[in-house]
Amino acid sequence: MSNLNFKEIYETYAPQIYRVCLGYVNDQEQAKDLMQETFISVWKNLSSFKHQSKISTWIYRIATNNCLRHLEKAKRIITTELPYDIKEETELKQDDKVKFLYQCISELEETDRLIISLVLEDLPQTEIANIIGLTIGNIRVKVHRIKEKLTCKFKKHGQFE
Amino acid sequence: MDNLNDLKAVWLHVKTDGLPNSSQMISIIKTNRDKTLRRLIFLIISALTMILLVLFASYFFNFKLISSKIGEGLIISSGLILIATNLNSLNRFYKLNVCSNKEYIGFLEQTRKRQLFYFKYTQVVGLAFSFVGLNLYLYELVYKNQLVMIISYSLLIIYFAIVSFHLRPKTYKKGADKLNRELENVMRIAQQF
Repeated sequence: MSNLNFKEIYETYAPQIYRVCLGYVNDQEQAKDLMQETFISVWKNLSSFKHQSKISTWIYRIATNNCLRHLEKAKRIITTELPYDIKEETELKQDDKVKFLYQCISELEETDRLIISLVLEDLPQTEIANIIGLTIGNIRVKVHRIKEKLTCKFKKHGQFE
Repeated sequence: MDNLNDLKAVWLHVKTDGLPNSSQMISIIKTNRDKTLRRLIFLIISALTMILLVLFASYFFNFKLISSKIGEGLIISSGLILIATNLNSLNRFYKLNVCSNKEYIGFLEQTRKRQLFYFKYTQVVGLAFSFVGLNLYLYELVYKNQLVMIISYSLLIIYFAIVSFHLRPKTYKKGADKLNRELENVMRIAQQF
């Protein structure tokens, strides 16, 4: 396997995979571990990749499978809500918004976390369907419901005017 | 959601500059791969050392009794069982590449069956071979001195009792619990599809 190819792939996809993993576990260290596991699998299997799908689809599929099979440290997921006494008119700072978004996502069902993460990574719904293993119709319905849930949470905190 | 673009902007704002660069990642991967290989090599070397020690002792002490020869054969057999079983397991994990959740559930279920088989049969046979083998092997070395014989056999029995009735069930339970949790998790997630 050419190191150069792997390097290019890594430089291109590492931040995206990290964000998807972070959306799933809402813990930076665990997200880094999951990202590393993903690229270990990519390294091991790159030579046998048959180009039957886009390389991005293949890498995201490895990452999402890793996330779904992640178990041991899952108990450490922080599920505490942000304080609800924040006044509605208060605008959260950008860093707080990031934390709030990732927290909201980590409170969704496992598959929903991955679907919305891929939507936010700007992947087309057909590719998301391929990665997750659902039909495009299912993905469309799920995306709609997840957006509603997130909008509701964000509106509750006065994030959307 | 009209504000999806806002969410995308927030989503992308997360800091990723602390991630390892590609060269560091390759180094991490190589370290990880070496670690797995090291464990495998250590296991094989340990079992082979045991086999070689038995053969060397047999040559050096020039055992006369048939019990020593049988013991030697049984100890070597248990070492070979250990090597073969662990190589086989590692081979299965190495072959598990990119697969669907359904295939992964199948893999876990097969792992559970194999684990149970290993606990009930392979490990029992391995332990029995090494226990009987060591008992027979030891006999020629100690039978002339009653005190040494009693101490040696007592220690051997205590060691095997601890391994068989304490360590073995404990290790199995730990492994089985982890596997069951993993299986439950994957099956629960499979229901979301």
